[in-house]
Amino acid sequence: MKRLNSRGSAMIETAMMMPLLVLLLVGMTELARITYTYYTLQKTMYTLARYLSTQQGVNFCDDADSAIVAAKSFAINGTTDGSAQSTLANLTSDMIHVRIEKYDPSTQEVSECECSITGCDTGAGGGPPSFVVVTIPDGYSIRPAIPYLVSESILFKPHVRVPFGGA
Amino acid sequence: MLGRVDTRNQSRKAPLIRANERGATSIQIIVILVPVLFGFMGFAVDLGRMYLIRGELNTAANAMAIAAAGRLIGTGQSTTDAVAAAHLTIDNAGGFANKYDFGGLAIGESSGLLTSQVDEPAFYDSRAAAIGEGDAAGGSQATGSTAKHVRVTLQADAPLIFWSFLSLGQSRRAPIAAKAVAGMSAPLCTACGVEPFAVAALDAGDTTNFGFSANTRYTLGYLCNGLGTPGLLQGTTARVPYLILNRLDEEATLFTDEASQIYRIGAQGLLPSKTAAKACIVANAEESIWVTAAPLACAQNRVPATVSSMLCGLASRFDPTTIPTVCASIPEVETIATAYVADTDLTDLDDYVAYTGNLRRVITVPVVQSLAAAGTMTILGFRQFLVEPNFGTTTVNPSDQNGRFVGLYIGSVVPVKQGSFSGCQLAAGPGKVVLHQ
Repeated sequence: MKRLNSRGSAMIETAMMMPLLVLLLVGMTELARITYTYYTLQKTMYTLARYLSTQQGVNFCDDADSAIVAAKSFAINGTTDGSAQSTLANLTSDMIHVRIEKYDPSTQEVSECECSITGCDTGAGGGPPSFVVVTIPDGYSIRPAIPYLVSESILFKPHVRVPFGGA
Repeated sequence: MLGRVDTRNQSRKAPLIRANERGATSIQIIVILVPVLFGFMGFAVDLGRMYLIRGELNTAANAMAIAAAGRLIGTGQSTTDAVAAAHLTIDNAGGFANKYDFGGLAIGESSGLLTSQVDEPAFYDSRAAAIGEGDAAGGSQATGSTAKHVRVTLQADAPLIFWSFLSLGQSRRAPIAAKAVAGMSAPLCTACGVEPFAVAALDAGDTTNFGFSANTRYTLGYLCNGLGTPGLLQGTTARVPYLILNRLDEEATLFTDEASQIYRIGAQGLLPSKTAAKACIVANAEESIWVTAAPLACAQNRVPATVSSMLCGLASRFDPTTIPTVCASIPEVETIATAYVADTDLTDLDDYVAYTGNLRRVITVPVVQSLAAAGTMTILGFRQFLVEPNFGTTTVNPSDQNGRFVGLYIGSVVPVKQGSFSGCQLAAGPGKVVLHQ
């Protein structure tokens, strides 16, 4: 009986430590996965913004513009025709929004450029924007799977601003 | 309880003691392992975060360098403008600045323990000097009039969680730096959004300036036939005849009238299009004249209406709100003109270095071997002029009988908005903004 008892205490100790260890190890990998996902998203936004900022004749006021569709596809899966798998699960092109911004010399501020001829609607004869900002307005949701903890989904809303170099 | 078991079994049951100590050691080992464990956790969490922050800082540095390089236009004020342009990318007034640490911390500002700073951008006249480390590696910094490349350096602190419990991370932060170099590329073979005024090289053998002299005012006048060459505009030294290259877009859906099209081209350069043949001019290619702009006899003392429409567009770079009488017949001209802004510097400059405007007055024109009203012309390259107001006024005169305006030759100092490189070897010419590193 006593042998069992003392052996049991060692096992109990180990059993007590195990959840903590598992929590630490799994939590660690989950945190790393979240960081990795955010980095991938951020890279996606940057790729999209850079690709778009070097295109010509982009009509930013038309979401169906072929250059915008190609840029989104290129950022998400590396091909402009959408023939490959997305790098991130559940990331689709309609989640991504391309915001155009213009520098106003009178207020010395950067603000969203309107879709009009006096703004940046190149389809109506307007000029090009100064900056392209790529955002995920509703966020990309990721749920960390950490044992013993019921966690809420985290919403990532990365954005990248790149000067528009095209015409 | 453990102590009791120990004393009771000490004499009889030695193995039990071992078993018991095994239990105690597991705690000891874990306690000893804590620093090691935290070190490993740090690799997963803190190092991962540091890489993320480095990526975000690189993005921010790239955006800053590209924005700055776009303002390096060879004027005295260009480096000041470049610094301001770079900081716009991290200006959070609209809430969309480039940030770091999961997009949460502003770059260039300190928050609590974490500091971040943007070093003063360094400007260079050559790509090698800009990429090299410091002055020793390839030349000293350039001033506004010679700067072509910019190096942006950023620093920011990454917060540490697990490594902050170890002695190496006691400061609870790790400094991360990012660097980006951008500048003007090699000469473009295909230049897009340029102004299709073909001018003949004064000296086709001079690959640097085609015989033009920097900071010299030329009268650019439309080519005409026969005797009676039109005179010079006041303040200029020589007449440079030009022709308009054909970029009439038969498939245009917006402002389809030919006069409207050429007004817009005069006001902003070749219109943006996904078809490169419409929006760009290619070096070494053969180009022909805009059909309705065929030159008239010099003695007639007038130019085709198409040329006047083009000059109306050019005048809108000085003042888009007043439509000159000669331009009023262009369809929808008042609507079109609302899209344009005036140049912020309308002064008649002797030296381009003093220019402080927003580049509206700078035109990039194709230089051809010789002008040909019939047949084709070979494009030798691209050069830039600053359009000057006529003497004593603040704009050009679109009703000029000979299609004349004053251009100050500036070489190839302003980056072209868009273009590509393949298919030619040019000794000089304007490039576009590219990210070197």
